[in-house]
Amino acid sequence: MVGSEGAGGPTTVFAARAGADVLIASKGKISKCGASQMAGADFNLDGESALEIGLPGDGRDSPRRFFEDLVREGFYLGNQKIVEKYVEYAAKNTADLLEWGMPVYRFEQVHAEEMARGLISSGVKWVRAIRRQVKEMNIPILEDTMVVDLLTREGRVIGAMALDLKTGEIVLIKAKAVVLCTGGWQQAYHFSTASTDLTGDGQAMAYRAGAELLGMEMVQYAPMTMLWPPIARKSIIPYILCETEAGPLIQLLNSDGERFMERYDPSTMEQGTKEIVAIGTELEVEAGRGSPHGGAFFALKHLTPDGVDFIAGKYREFLDENSDKRSEFRTLLPYLLERSKIEDLEVGNAAHFMAGGIKVNELTETTILGLYAAGECSGGLLGSVRVASACTQVSAQGRIAGEVAPTYMREVGHLEPDLSQLEEIYGRIMRPLESGDGVPPLDLLRRVHSLTAECLKVIKGGEGLRKAQRELAGMRKDEAPRLHVSASGTRRLNYEWELSLELPKMLLCLEMYSLGCLMREESRGVHYRGDFPQTDNDRWCVNIVYSNRGGEAETSFEEPVVTTLRPPTGKTSFNQAVESATASLKRRGVE
Amino acid sequence: MGEAGIKIRCLRFDPETDAEPRFQEYEVPRADGDMSVHDCLEYIRNNLDPSLAYFINCRHGFCQRCHIRVNGKVVLACETMADGDMTLEPVNADRIIRDLWCEST
Repeated sequence: MVGSEGAGGPTTVFAARAGADVLIASKGKISKCGASQMAGADFNLDGESALEIGLPGDGRDSPRRFFEDLVREGFYLGNQKIVEKYVEYAAKNTADLLEWGMPVYRFEQVHAEEMARGLISSGVKWVRAIRRQVKEMNIPILEDTMVVDLLTREGRVIGAMALDLKTGEIVLIKAKAVVLCTGGWQQAYHFSTASTDLTGDGQAMAYRAGAELLGMEMVQYAPMTMLWPPIARKSIIPYILCETEAGPLIQLLNSDGERFMERYDPSTMEQGTKEIVAIGTELEVEAGRGSPHGGAFFALKHLTPDGVDFIAGKYREFLDENSDKRSEFRTLLPYLLERSKIEDLEVGNAAHFMAGGIKVNELTETTILGLYAAGECSGGLLGSVRVASACTQVSAQGRIAGEVAPTYMREVGHLEPDLSQLEEIYGRIMRPLESGDGVPPLDLLRRVHSLTAECLKVIKGGEGLRKAQRELAGMRKDEAPRLHVSASGTRRLNYEWELSLELPKMLLCLEMYSLGCLMREESRGVHYRGDFPQTDNDRWCVNIVYSNRGGEAETSFEEPVVTTLRPPTGKTSFNQAVESATASLKRRGVE
Repeated sequence: MGEAGIKIRCLRFDPETDAEPRFQEYEVPRADGDMSVHDCLEYIRNNLDPSLAYFINCRHGFCQRCHIRVNGKVVLACETMADGDMTLEPVNADRIIRDLWCEST
């Protein structure tokens, strides 16, 4: 099991219950790493199923209705067999988490649905509930251990090679099956919301091992992520505030002091679909009306200090009611609200969530034997937007992987690793530490980030994408193989060494991302091309699949898997497409 | 950035090669907005000395792993304001793996 959190934890619990001998390798410590700890966190399930497990669901809702909303909101690219499973396991998974002691703060419209369709909890309490289960079952964990590559033989994945970051020892893991729950590749972007460990490890390892990737062009940017002051950088507190009752009070301003969303979405303004708020923010920056650090102003000054104190008080009450001690809300939020009385805060668009990834089916099986993927690192469920709850995605797919993999494990035996493959991977791991010089990893990371800042933002264009393709290919071929630590040759906690092993993975994900964005000559969901702003269902209601052919990417197209809901035809403007995709969502109008 | 930067004394120690810990001084330029202790450490590693070992993960108090001693007091590096010169040490000096990262991290 690679990863220990929202997806990885349940996978191991269910696999161990099914009798499998499980080992977790986690890049950090369980419940203290990855994306899940930072989730809001919201979990979806349909109203009918909610009522069955004693939650205040809405009887008008049904699994079918939830399914249809998910497919439509994903702009019809989602695999409908996976969506059906998601709906089924959303209910099962909620029951699991409640049984494991995750508290419910509220049951409500967690994604602005027409009716209450999910519950709000805390990411920290969620991952701690999972940790208790993993510990109770005595599942062994290799902590602070980064899996570097998968071992393959006879078309199967048969283990992995990893680096213990604290000791610098190389670990060989033999396994009948490997489940990847490694999250996204946010760290490849100049500005992102994720924890430091999300570097595309799963996607890159699966691709190298021969598995297909899908939908890599679908990356969601979170607008209203803190840009400035530095202490708050990358926090999504403003984004979260916008989702609460305080949402309609928030104004986004440009450097001329205008509420610029008037230009892009006058009916819902700042409360509009996140994709459109992100596009609006970027257009203002491009027009020279951005904030000093390249974003927009998040303004509350118009509320007067009393108004701001009222919001702070409401939030404190909510936290007290739920005995919630999370520092982002207890320390950072009051600080920012206090600042907002005297100055406008700066917010911007941050790479936030990957809707595509390792291609899986409804059983979390990848396209190679012995390899499974669950959660954000997988692709197929979401289509072109992060629809509904990602927390539910990771837990549901985690449980499915935990149920499915043990059956396969019973059917196969261990295979001895291929020595030449071990030598190749070992050599690659050790190369950055060998004598001589090369490319300092931080230099390359800086150049990658200036490239994403220039060419791989929310609004993409053909010219920028072609430039990104050229430069990324050059970095992959000429520089990644020469990455070399510059400051210290120690094997223990050597950040440059770790980065030397992560950078090729981030480059690979970015290359797939820019390739897919260049190919997809339309705009759909989170993918926006300034030069192709229409949503084109006649030509582009297809998924892009990426595979490794001797080191070069090969792409193909796949019609989305349809069970019952036919995708639409015709072309529409992006705004119209968003409007029909989100027709069932309740969006607050302008006050 | 015109004014003097923040002077940071950082404990450095590699139990494999060093007989005992020592302090190294760095100067981090002040930003025109509030910075955290983390922001300073990140600046040092990215611009002055990539060999410095410290812990960072979520940046905003979720993981609770970035405990560090700032002028003797144990705090989380991510949520603590860097508002003046400071001395940084690991929480547990007897169990250092390298520099500011100790076994209890």
